[in-house]
Amino acid sequence: MRQVWIRFLSLFKKRDLDREFDDEADSHIALVTEDYVQGGMPLVEAQRMARVRFGSIESSKDAHRDSRGLPWLEGLFYDLRFALRRLRHDRAFALTAIVTLALAIGLNVTVFAVMNTMLFRGFPLVQRNDRLVYIQEQYPSGTGNITYLDFEDWRAQAHSFEGMAFVGEKNISLSYGEGRSLDASAFTVSTNVFGLLRVKPTLGRDFVPADEASGAAPVVILNHRFWESQFGGRQDVVGTFVLVNKAPATVIGVMPEGFDFPTQFDVWMPYMRGPEVNQRIPEAFLAVGRLRDGANLQEARAELETINHRLEAAYPATNRGVVPSLATYSQSFIGPDAPVIYGSLWVAAWFVLLIACANLANLTVARTVGRWRDFSIRIALGAGRGRMMRQIFVESLTLTSVAAVLGWWITKWGVRTWAVETASIYQILDYTLDSGTLAYLVAISLASAILFSLAPMGRVLQIGVNSALKSEAPGVTPGVRGKRLAAVLVAGQMALAIVLLSGAGVLVRSLMNIVSADTGVGDPEHVLVGLLSFPSEKFPSLAATLGYVDRFEATVRAIPGIVDESVASNIPVNFGTQRAFEIEGRPNPREGGEAVQFLRVGPDYFRVVEAPAISGRDFNDGDRTATLPVAIVNQSFAARYWPREQPLGKRLRYIDRKKPAEWLTVVGVVPNIMQGDATRRQFKPLVYLPFRQASTVLGVNFLLRTGVPPGQVAQAVRAEIQKLDPDVVLKKFTTLKASFGFDPNRMDRGHSEMGKYAAVAPIFAVMALLLAAVGLYAVIAHSVSQRTKEIGVRIAIGAAAEDIRRMVLRDGMWPVAIGMILGLAASLGVNRILQSQLVGVPPDDPITMACAPVVLILVALLACQIPARRAMRVDPVMTLRHD
Amino acid sequence: MPDSKLDLLQGTLDLMVLQTLDVLGPLHGYGIARRIEQLSGNEVLLNQGTIYASLVRLQQRRWIAAEWGVSDNNRKAKFYSITKAGKRQMKEDQTQWERLVAVITRVLAASGERG
Repeated sequence: MRQVWIRFLSLFKKRDLDREFDDEADSHIALVTEDYVQGGMPLVEAQRMARVRFGSIESSKDAHRDSRGLPWLEGLFYDLRFALRRLRHDRAFALTAIVTLALAIGLNVTVFAVMNTMLFRGFPLVQRNDRLVYIQEQYPSGTGNITYLDFEDWRAQAHSFEGMAFVGEKNISLSYGEGRSLDASAFTVSTNVFGLLRVKPTLGRDFVPADEASGAAPVVILNHRFWESQFGGRQDVVGTFVLVNKAPATVIGVMPEGFDFPTQFDVWMPYMRGPEVNQRIPEAFLAVGRLRDGANLQEARAELETINHRLEAAYPATNRGVVPSLATYSQSFIGPDAPVIYGSLWVAAWFVLLIACANLANLTVARTVGRWRDFSIRIALGAGRGRMMRQIFVESLTLTSVAAVLGWWITKWGVRTWAVETASIYQILDYTLDSGTLAYLVAISLASAILFSLAPMGRVLQIGVNSALKSEAPGVTPGVRGKRLAAVLVAGQMALAIVLLSGAGVLVRSLMNIVSADTGVGDPEHVLVGLLSFPSEKFPSLAATLGYVDRFEATVRAIPGIVDESVASNIPVNFGTQRAFEIEGRPNPREGGEAVQFLRVGPDYFRVVEAPAISGRDFNDGDRTATLPVAIVNQSFAARYWPREQPLGKRLRYIDRKKPAEWLTVVGVVPNIMQGDATRRQFKPLVYLPFRQASTVLGVNFLLRTGVPPGQVAQAVRAEIQKLDPDVVLKKFTTLKASFGFDPNRMDRGHSEMGKYAAVAPIFAVMALLLAAVGLYAVIAHSVSQRTKEIGVRIAIGAAAEDIRRMVLRDGMWPVAIGMILGLAASLGVNRILQSQLVGVPPDDPITMACAPVVLILVALLACQIPARRAMRVDPVMTLRHD
Repeated sequence: MPDSKLDLLQGTLDLMVLQTLDVLGPLHGYGIARRIEQLSGNEVLLNQGTIYASLVRLQQRRWIAAEWGVSDNNRKAKFYSITKAGKRQMKEDQTQWERLVAVITRVLAASGERG
């Protein structure tokens, strides 16, 4: 090691060391001369002999330099300087190469970073995320939640975990000092949660077990974001009192900036065991466990399943059919198909990088062609081929280094853009770019430099002295071999491009299928929707909220241009509330009953959505708290539960574990409206209940049918809401049609990432297509410029311009055709991998499979057309006179 | 006839230089070259300049030390002397060399018997 260091240092003392050698050589020669003179030789003859004995001073000096320094490094400097000079001369090439590479590398690293975040990272600031497991329970009715008592049993009995924490959620109103109370969202957690995550509060203290003991003084820990926005980031907030639902609680800490767990909420407070806790009623969000060293997810799952079997036997009334579901961060918060989605995106990014490398390989070969004579002469004179290959590689490396730096900037920008565009309050993601990301960037840059240098370096190996000197003479059409390589690269690029095109094609068609699915709503362009939310301080009771709704309905109906109006607990397509129910006089088909969605809607709802009742009646103003509880079912419900019976007059009710619910009498059947099917493929059975028979109202959605374009009345509606009560917040105000757009927050777990996927996939496809087209263009343009003389001769002996064009197109298009066929065959297989993300489209969708090649051929024709035209314009006289 | 000169391994010349310095004490480059020429009967060095690549290598490994001084006949010259580390290395290389020679000799003798 020291050796290398000394040698390295000697590179910087070159002049001194050379001078010292010169001195030594002079003294050596003087000594030899003296010996000869003493032996009786005349001085001039003695000097000559001394020089002969010493040998060539220059070659000794070279040997001296080589053994004292690092000759390869020194050579590298020369190569580098040479490369820079060459690249400066050929700016167009350098620019094209750097931009192409930087884009491809930047894209690749961006996808890598995103994939890393989605699959392998976890919550920011949390230590050893990979050992955390997120646990819920699946109920026979299809809902997922957990029971506190079950959690306690797991915590006491499971050995696979170092610890386990419980996370529930709660909406609270919070006030501080003299300030108004504000509505906040809280997680109610077991006090060990932050310890388990290994995150400490940045201010104040963590929870301690005493904080969750019954009768303990209530305490809260604030989210950093909430602390800054509501408490102005005041340090002295720790130790002060706040009112949580009007009861005093002490602020004991603030969590660090950027920490959210498990979603973006405002405060954490200890989970207080109330009386209901003894009933094994599912109530909490999830549990999180940290696996013990040596334990794995499968063992933990088996263990909890065993515990749940025991619970099933002990508490059949509540626990029959309840299974624990354990998931990693990625499975739990990103979705079960995250590996397929982000893995395939990563592969797509590699396709783009490979296409870019193929382009560069072609360009570099084309550039080195100009140096063939130079190379052959050097080889003829005895230069090593290694030296020339190194020169080529150093040049590639120089280009790649610049591209890598740009690629890093692109990555930073790309990841930030992705993070902003896809942000969701339900996903807490850690997008920090770390040294691992940087190492990956360096590695793939190096890999691409090697990849695209292989072709030109291979050519150097093939140089035969004579053949090269002969065949690379200017003006002679080059041999078949170079063309074959270019054709292979072009075919490969086209194959990759078409795989990406068809993959992106089926994904986009899936997304279109979802967005444009039939929802059952007539003319949704002319319906305005919005969500009203009520601060709990000002609207403490149901009566207050319903009173506001009455005033609101009267006001908006008076706005000119509004034809009809209604309210609902949710708008079409969204998810209704899933409840288990039973039908009067019919045994439950399954333990716990089947669950369907229940929706609260106001009178006129079915007029607004243009789905008038098929039989029976609509809800009306008479359906209120005091009157007979009624229900309307949709066709799908009627067909499923009363296939050959008249539904009107039948009765059904919720299954409520606490107390028997009231019977609801069916008074109408309505057409199907899309609700709660993430991929919008089927109309699910629905039960509608009158809005004013609700026992609680959380938020109110309104729907306004307009007789004029909705944009004309939107402002008036907004103004009236503001005038009616400035404290009521209007959210998601848009047309019903626009609300049907893709919203990942409303998707099921399997498809929540699908929209992002379908949105970015075309970017890859377009990039691949453009890069491949540029590559094809460069190859054809180069070949035309090489063949100018040949083309000139052809024209001179009578070829028509059209013949020349056909010749160039044929040369360009046959590798395209071969690549296309290979690519299509490959994409039949590749698209199958995407199956889980496809909605209403088969993986080998004939429309996509027909369109992708057409697009590819059109683009390829365009890329060939430009050089073909140049070839047609070749002036035979000029070319023949040339040289 | 330069072709017939022994095509020496790098290390062999280094070993000769060390041996020379060990026996004769501090010497300048010419002195070392002359001594090796004398002993080897002009079989080793193609020309005297070659010695300097070896000298710089040995110096970097700290097996020899160098110092500017004045020669017998009052000329400025760089004098080389062997260091402790150099002596140790020389012993090692000698043993190594002797073992190699013995092996080669045996092998050559064996093939001679059969032929």
